[in-house]
Amino acid sequence: MRQHPWLALAGGFGGLLLIMTAAQLGALFMISSLRANGTQVEQRFLERSRILEEIRSSIYLSGTVARDSLLAPSGGASSQLAEVNDLHKKTAAALDQYQKSLETEEAGAFASLRSEIEAYWNVLNRTFAWSDEEREKNRYRFFYSELIPRRTSMLQIADRVGQLNERSLLRGDEQLGGLFERLRLGLIGVIALTLVCGLALALYTSIVVLRLQNEVRARLEENIEAKTSLRELSAKLLRAQEEERRALSRELHDEAGQSFSAILLETENLLDAEPGRAAVPRLESIRNLAQRGLAEARNMALLLRPSMLDDFGLVPALNWQARETAKRTGLRVQVSAAELPRDLPEEHKTCIYRVVQEALNNVTKHAQASGAQVRLQWKEGHVDLTVQDDGTGFDAERVRGLGLLGMEERVHHLGGVFAIDSQPGRGTFVRITLPVADLATDMMNETNSDIVSRRS
Amino acid sequence: MKPIRILLADDHNLLRDGLRLLLERQAGFEVVGEASDGREALRLAEEHRPDVVVMDIAMPILNGIEATKQIVGTCAQTGVIMLSMHHDESYIVRALNAGARGYLLKDSLKADLIGAVNAVSQGHSYFSLKIRLLLQEDYFRQMTDKQKTDSLELLTGRENEILQLIAEGRSNKEIGSLLNLSFHTVETHRAHILQKLNLHTVAELILYAVRKGVIH
Repeated sequence: MRQHPWLALAGGFGGLLLIMTAAQLGALFMISSLRANGTQVEQRFLERSRILEEIRSSIYLSGTVARDSLLAPSGGASSQLAEVNDLHKKTAAALDQYQKSLETEEAGAFASLRSEIEAYWNVLNRTFAWSDEEREKNRYRFFYSELIPRRTSMLQIADRVGQLNERSLLRGDEQLGGLFERLRLGLIGVIALTLVCGLALALYTSIVVLRLQNEVRARLEENIEAKTSLRELSAKLLRAQEEERRALSRELHDEAGQSFSAILLETENLLDAEPGRAAVPRLESIRNLAQRGLAEARNMALLLRPSMLDDFGLVPALNWQARETAKRTGLRVQVSAAELPRDLPEEHKTCIYRVVQEALNNVTKHAQASGAQVRLQWKEGHVDLTVQDDGTGFDAERVRGLGLLGMEERVHHLGGVFAIDSQPGRGTFVRITLPVADLATDMMNETNSDIVSRRS
Repeated sequence: MKPIRILLADDHNLLRDGLRLLLERQAGFEVVGEASDGREALRLAEEHRPDVVVMDIAMPILNGIEATKQIVGTCAQTGVIMLSMHHDESYIVRALNAGARGYLLKDSLKADLIGAVNAVSQGHSYFSLKIRLLLQEDYFRQMTDKQKTDSLELLTGRENEILQLIAEGRSNKEIGSLLNLSFHTVETHRAHILQKLNLHTVAELILYAVRKGVIH
């Protein structure tokens, strides 16, 4: 279905072009053939007229020669006979030539012309065989009652043939006219056909284009919908993950931690009560285990989600993160944070905290940096965070680890902008901007907020 | 001698039992009440007027920090020791800002609790050894990072003395009588110290003193 319209369009346009080309070529051919035809008709007419004229003149001439020979005192001049014979041959040749291009209409007239001429020649030839007396006797009778009427009727026939020839010319012209008419009609037909085909093609093209457009729009909408739902899903996942971490962190801190504290205290109390010699090492071992358990529960809870984030807010959590990173890796981390709006949404706080955590994590893992700066600013409806290090940097155009993708994802969920700028040897600069809509302008220094109640 | 009267506030029964056992074994200590949330702690503190409240930082209904603020507000003679799992500065600063004078880690209660109750009952400050070490370490690292000169050198000998006394939790009047100075002079010294060290509250001053190892 997807390739079908293109095939049809190619066929349509190709066909249209073909029709137009064929029509033009046909017209050209017809025009040139018309022209050739016209010339041919004209030439034939002229040729036939010429032949007829020749026949006519031969007959006149022969009449004159015959008269001269009849009137001559001593007849039978051989030169005159030769002349007549010559004329006879010429006429016969002319007749033969004419017969070649004979038309059926002329056939009857031509046949009678031919037989008249043959008869005429026979009659004429006879006179040459006459003796002087016979000539003397018959001269005038022959001349007036035989030669002249024959000649006259012959010439009349020749005229008829001539007329027929003229008619044939007219017919030729008519034929040409007919051909022209056909050409005209043909051209009109082709133009009409082209127009109809063109219109049909245009209609079809429009339909196809519209359908394609609709399809593209539908796809686009589908795509957007899919993207939106994917984003929603991953946002939900992130929220669920964060919620889970928070719950686990609290559980570890409040339950496991407290229990370890209690065990520790109980054990120390027992040790205080001067138990038997054998029990002391066991109790000391329990104490050490409980101490280790307590430390581990606390560290794990902090790792999952630092309680400062929920107890005191973003800035104390960032400060803690900075101190922890410094303690753990020796990286100097400076946090400079402006006052933030009191009701910065939970998700924003979490997002910023996690981005900083991941960024610092990257710095300590890859950058070989000696220092990093975390800067948090609040600007008219936006929270602006930058994390900058003085490390080795990397090609930010090409390298995109899972960590970076995760940060980007978090930021995009909140409609924010994530940017990373790094080049080998020039450190790394991560910047996020989160829009914060409809916040009360009530600013506060988060460090003054209070620990929240738990487990209520 | 009058016993030191102590109120315990922790939502964890086992831990409370352990604390009571530890404290009551000590001569001169008397546990006057146990609370399992912040509000109960406040009520019992007002009722018993104890010398010392040993309070968990994270408690239901009213958390330890908020409860401390209110107890310090209503019972001026009561000192509060905060118990916490956290050795992070943010918790310590908040506890001190709320008015707590002691901050103990739960993994070293045995070593610290008795000393802390004694110190706080006399109006002094007390921090777990680990806290002191961490804060000092932290401060040292910051100093190296910023390559700053030691601000403590800005103080005169007299100011150093007064800093230590303030950090130990003594009042201006006490300091005055100890050093033979007028109340007003002590007040002036205190203002100078805060200004020179760029500090704003007594809590910050105490933290500073702990970090610098001025008090133990």
